[in-house]
Amino acid sequence: MNIYQSKINFNDDFPLRHPADVMKLDRLGSFHQTRLSFSRQLIDELISNNWKTEIIKWNINSIGTGKAVIKISSKQRIYSLVVFCHQINDDERSDRVIAEKWDMTFSLFLGIPSKEELDEMSKNLKIQELGRHLPKQLTLSRANKSVRVFNSVLNNLSEGKQPDKKMINNIGYLVRTTAVYGNGKFGIADYLPETNDNPLNKPFQAEMLTVYLIRYFSIELVNYLAKEKGKDKSITLSNEISKHVGVGNATGLGMAPFLINHQKLIHKWIQARETAISRVLSIKKLSTYNQTKIFNLIERAYLYTTQWNVDDVIQFKRINVLRKELKDISNNKSLNGLLNNDYPLQNVYLHFINKISIETQEILNSIFIEPFPELLDDLTNEMGTDEQNTVAIGYKVNELIKIIKDKYSWALKIDIMNPDENFYFWYTSQAKLEPRLGATQIDHGKEKQLPFDIPQQVQNGLKILTKLPDDMTGAEAMILHPEIRNIIKRVIINENFPFSEIQNNLVGKKVRPIDLLRCKLSFFGATKYDPKSNLWTRITLFQGAPLPHQLQEENATEWLFPYLVNA
Amino acid sequence: MLNVSLNEIYSETYKAYRSVGIEWGIAKDGANLSRWLAEHNFYFLGSTLKNADLYKTGKISLSLRNNTLKKPFSAALMGLLLVEYISSGNVKWQGYIYDYKFLIASMAIIAKEQNVNLILKDNKTTIAYTLEKNIFLQKDKIINTNYFYLEPFHLKEKLSLNHLETLKALPVPKVNKNCWERLKLMAFETYVPESETSKTGAGY
Repeated sequence: MNIYQSKINFNDDFPLRHPADVMKLDRLGSFHQTRLSFSRQLIDELISNNWKTEIIKWNINSIGTGKAVIKISSKQRIYSLVVFCHQINDDERSDRVIAEKWDMTFSLFLGIPSKEELDEMSKNLKIQELGRHLPKQLTLSRANKSVRVFNSVLNNLSEGKQPDKKMINNIGYLVRTTAVYGNGKFGIADYLPETNDNPLNKPFQAEMLTVYLIRYFSIELVNYLAKEKGKDKSITLSNEISKHVGVGNATGLGMAPFLINHQKLIHKWIQARETAISRVLSIKKLSTYNQTKIFNLIERAYLYTTQWNVDDVIQFKRINVLRKELKDISNNKSLNGLLNNDYPLQNVYLHFINKISIETQEILNSIFIEPFPELLDDLTNEMGTDEQNTVAIGYKVNELIKIIKDKYSWALKIDIMNPDENFYFWYTSQAKLEPRLGATQIDHGKEKQLPFDIPQQVQNGLKILTKLPDDMTGAEAMILHPEIRNIIKRVIINENFPFSEIQNNLVGKKVRPIDLLRCKLSFFGATKYDPKSNLWTRITLFQGAPLPHQLQEENATEWLFPYLVNA
Repeated sequence: MLNVSLNEIYSETYKAYRSVGIEWGIAKDGANLSRWLAEHNFYFLGSTLKNADLYKTGKISLSLRNNTLKKPFSAALMGLLLVEYISSGNVKWQGYIYDYKFLIASMAIIAKEQNVNLILKDNKTTIAYTLEKNIFLQKDKIINTNYFYLEPFHLKEKLSLNHLETLKALPVPKVNKNCWERLKLMAFETYVPESETSKTGAGY
């Protein structure tokens, strides 16, 4: 086993996995939700600080158009989700970012909006990227109904019946978002992680709160419309089914560059996850209670996979293998003994690691972390960071060469003259301002490519460095050769933050951008990854999460692997 | 006037610099400096556009040694590299600088991130210095020179500099709409029309 002993390691018994193992796309693209995921962190925050949710404006008519404001507050802050519902034709409803009209447009607002602010938002929210938005808006988003599910649920409830569980499970949501913008996009508020009095100061908490509230709104909306339609005959969606309703999301390449552009942040996320794994693998004894929990979580994961249905051939096969391997682990006669001995989770890990797929290895990691929130508290506080703008001073040319040869050996091995290793280039689309992949031999625009050809940059940088005096400072080398500034900065960041670089050629023919998306989505807490190609996927967020009125119920924090009985 | 976010300032500046052929790493540095200036209520947008123009027309130098009154060193593009160079080699530097406020931004950023103490002077007075991660300066002082001295700052000099003040981040100022549109138009130059191959499998 390849282990990583570095200055970032800590004093537990089980070492962190090596970046060369972790930072490969096939592994990153096999991650699942964990207790560290941002949607999980949000629910923990809502529970621990006793947040209250209240609908304070509901001007929705019987056909479902109008506006609503949902207030959510902690002791520290008040936020509002402002939602506008629109009527659109079926042929205008696309769940990709390329759409121009949506069933609902919404924004998370700091405080309660005034009438003037609501009027301003009513003009701009509906046009999304084309509008200018207010600095008190923390997010900007839109969603479409899953018409089939929404109408079916509406009709059933209006007739006094609960909807078909199988259909609810197969789709998993009433509405799906296509983009949730944050961090200063289109004039909204900047994300400022250093603001200590901001309860949403951890990564993506404003975005997660937006999605959580639109999920609540979607359930309230269908209940309201059923009542309008069926009057006294109508009923509301059961708690069991409501809890299984998540929010859908369609995610494409727009998300991919984030993992490349935010090196230090990605390091923090992965390091937190790897540290969590290391900590639980270092646990010396498990109580009977926690042994049972691990058994139950393996079983629960298996059940989850039985309801995870996809059309994508590759993912379909991976799920089948995952399902079989989880069943094998669960039925393995040695499991009981392994969990009962010293270092129980380490035993299970080492016993199965070489016999199971990466997808199963990573779901086991999610399972192992789950029962031990007390080991993770400090880690969740370490997952945000300011990006570094300067390059750490003090490196000489010979040291930079050594770091490149050591940390970027994966990039030096790639034959950058081979057309297959320059098969793609990344660019920003003129029409949608979104990242896209072009084919180098076919498409125009390579001269405007985004700098994601890391192996090429590393090899060119090394060539330049080897011609400079050994004792020249890195800063002087970069002043003489500004073209290596970008890659030298990456290299030095990677020296200090080793989980900051994906160790695959992102412009090579074999790249699967879907793996980048899944990695980031796993940190959001997504479930039911449903790839539609190598370039985009549907997912579900907050499926199984407690609704606002369930936040103070027992075990409300435990919602890994959503499963609907009899679906 | 228009409200813009700091993230937009970074993102549009970065792309605008790229549109005139500035290297990726340098363009990012320049964008970070514009963002810092905006955050600290300095006039930044016109200066950013001017720097891009000067670069495009070859009227600005990226060289530590080959800079003149007519072709000064670009603090907007090379400021961060210059402060890293001085800090890492513990050396003194002097030369012609275009738009020294970008150098102040560079000093402030490296001070905050790496706790480096530097001092910027013209031939008569101290313009700014950094100490314990803060920058101190006379923000409204009019500087009538293009020739500057930048060097490591030693604590013993501090007593004579008590008149300088530190800066705090402020809400983002509004920007001139026309200038902003110009920056965005430059940024737009870095975009590419979508090809049919790009659309394949992307969910269109």
